[in-house]
Amino acid sequence: MNVDIDWLRGEFPKLRNLAKLSQGGQKVVFTALDPQHGHVVLKLIHPSQAQESVERERLAVDQVKSARVPRIFDYGLVSTQVGPCYWFLEERVTGEPLNEVLRRAPLPMSEVLKLGVQMLEALVKAEEANIVHRDVKPANIMMSVDRDFSLLDFGIARHLTLAALTDVSARWGKCTPGYAPPEQFRNVQTEIDSRADLFALGVTLYEAATGVNPFWKDTGDQLEVLRRVEKTVLPRLETAAAQPEFADFISTLTQRRRDHRPKTAFEAHTWLLEIVSESQKR
Amino acid sequence: MKLYLQFGHGMMEHCRHLIQSWNGGTVVLSPRDLEESRMQKFADRMRDFPDTSLLFDPQLYLPRSNHETLCAYSYWPSNYSTGVSWEVANLRTLLSEIFDLNARLGSDAIILPGLLASEVSDDWLDIQSAILNEAAMMGVQQELYPTIALSDAAILNTDQISKLLEAAESWDAPGYYLVCQHPRGEYLVNNPVWVSNILDIAAGIKLNGAKVILGYCSHQMLISACAKVDAICSGTFLNVRSFPPEKFSRAESDPKQRSTWFYCPQGLSEYKDSFLDIAHRIGVLDDLRPEEKFGGYANRLFSGPQPTTIGLKEPVAFRHYLNSLHVQALSAEKASFDETVNCYEETLNRAEDLLSSLHQSGIRGQQRDFRDIIDVQRAAIAALVATRGPILRRHWSAL
Repeated sequence: MNVDIDWLRGEFPKLRNLAKLSQGGQKVVFTALDPQHGHVVLKLIHPSQAQESVERERLAVDQVKSARVPRIFDYGLVSTQVGPCYWFLEERVTGEPLNEVLRRAPLPMSEVLKLGVQMLEALVKAEEANIVHRDVKPANIMMSVDRDFSLLDFGIARHLTLAALTDVSARWGKCTPGYAPPEQFRNVQTEIDSRADLFALGVTLYEAATGVNPFWKDTGDQLEVLRRVEKTVLPRLETAAAQPEFADFISTLTQRRRDHRPKTAFEAHTWLLEIVSESQKR
Repeated sequence: MKLYLQFGHGMMEHCRHLIQSWNGGTVVLSPRDLEESRMQKFADRMRDFPDTSLLFDPQLYLPRSNHETLCAYSYWPSNYSTGVSWEVANLRTLLSEIFDLNARLGSDAIILPGLLASEVSDDWLDIQSAILNEAAMMGVQQELYPTIALSDAAILNTDQISKLLEAAESWDAPGYYLVCQHPRGEYLVNNPVWVSNILDIAAGIKLNGAKVILGYCSHQMLISACAKVDAICSGTFLNVRSFPPEKFSRAESDPKQRSTWFYCPQGLSEYKDSFLDIAHRIGVLDDLRPEEKFGGYANRLFSGPQPTTIGLKEPVAFRHYLNSLHVQALSAEKASFDETVNCYEETLNRAEDLLSSLHQSGIRGQQRDFRDIIDVQRAAIAALVATRGPILRRHWSAL
């Protein structure tokens, strides 16, 4: 989707310093300065995206109401050459996606713990709102210049109190292979709850601590990745800096069966805070 | 972890004796083994002992049973029909009868009836839920413990165990009575998946905040202390130390005279007296002598003469077994998950050393020898530690 910046300025006259930040298959993202909200991003969603799913994404962010999830200030529809596009005006987190950070080096353990705590803050709020993010992964986590973390992209979030928008009889569920648990990619809709996000967070924390996602190691084959998730377990976190309790925590989050994981994001959050507290005493 | 006495053939006197000697305890009453009038008299007498609790196992595992004693109970459905018998009105009648019987017996909690699950199907889960929901609405004061009765095939199927635990998350019961069929009728089960999945069910239920009573156990299930099971139940003959569903389907004749087995608690194995004679002859009999804490029931065997000339009478052998199990169950649970697991592993290690030395001397427990079971238990423990260890460790004191 090509967007003419002058045309965009005309459609959003209040925004200043409009500049293109990124472009994916389904959306184009711009940075801007808003007189009321300061630094913002403007997302234009391609018209091929079902309007209802875009609305669900907005609703999810609105309902989660977490300091760890960038707010949506405004939204609407704008007419374009390719059809009506949904747009979101969002809080901008200045920083770098975690996957880019990890490409250079793993995080120090203190930041891995911080990442865990802050993502669980977001997931606890999501759980309270009966929302499952379903796509927790480094590429959807922004590390700010203050080295805080924000959870982005509720594009495939599942609202547990609303009817599923995706095909419940489909063989495969929406997911990112190597982060989603078996019940998610096997599309067992009745088994999707916050424990799916805990699995993905466990893999993300492992990757943040080691720089490697073992499910993706030495393969580019998505089916092989899914097979690994279903048939193997994540290796125990054995970095020198990792406390055994934190390694236990990661192992528990990434159990293949969800009834072997913590029952809730709240329980996982409480547990991790205890681990952090113990580590600070040492 | 406690040992509850699983009532079975010839258990009356053992119950009286052991409950008195333990200064209290719990007996799980069995309608298969006792007519209602005799059970009532027995219950009345047992309640006179201090700190004694009674539970009644309705044994409705196979409701089409022709077992004469079971069918004579007032609650037993005379015309069982899978669809009709679980409709609300019929279910309510069944539960009312069971509640009344429990009231007459003076049960401390009520074990709800439960069908044997050949597989954990949606239909079976629906019936489980219906029984619990209906019972909860009937407003009895005692705690209600649903029965979870599983076939060997169901237990060995990890997906079905997962399905059961998923469903159990939504059941609101303070405790469960879990009974598990042994594969191929084995007394000691030589399959780590069976043991591991039972530990998984028990731990899952415990982590949901409910009690677990494991019915029809042998000493193999001392391992369940590692899942913080509240009680295991055991008794005299093998049909109460394992769960053979067919024994609830048709009456069996009274046990005939058979070999008497001596339980060596430190070896977790049982021996016929002829093997004790061999041990005596080659000078290793003392290795089998139980420590004093196990009660001295079998001391005569170690008093000098050849064991078969002394003869360990069957009732004494049973009391020795149950008292030893009582002592072992009580000491199996420790203050933390890791201590409990370590304690059990040490028990296995000691048993392994002893059995290895006894085997070199030709002393074997035959089908009741624990040596091949030790690795089964170790594998089950390893699986429990890997899948649930950190969470059990974290919640242990609250379970």
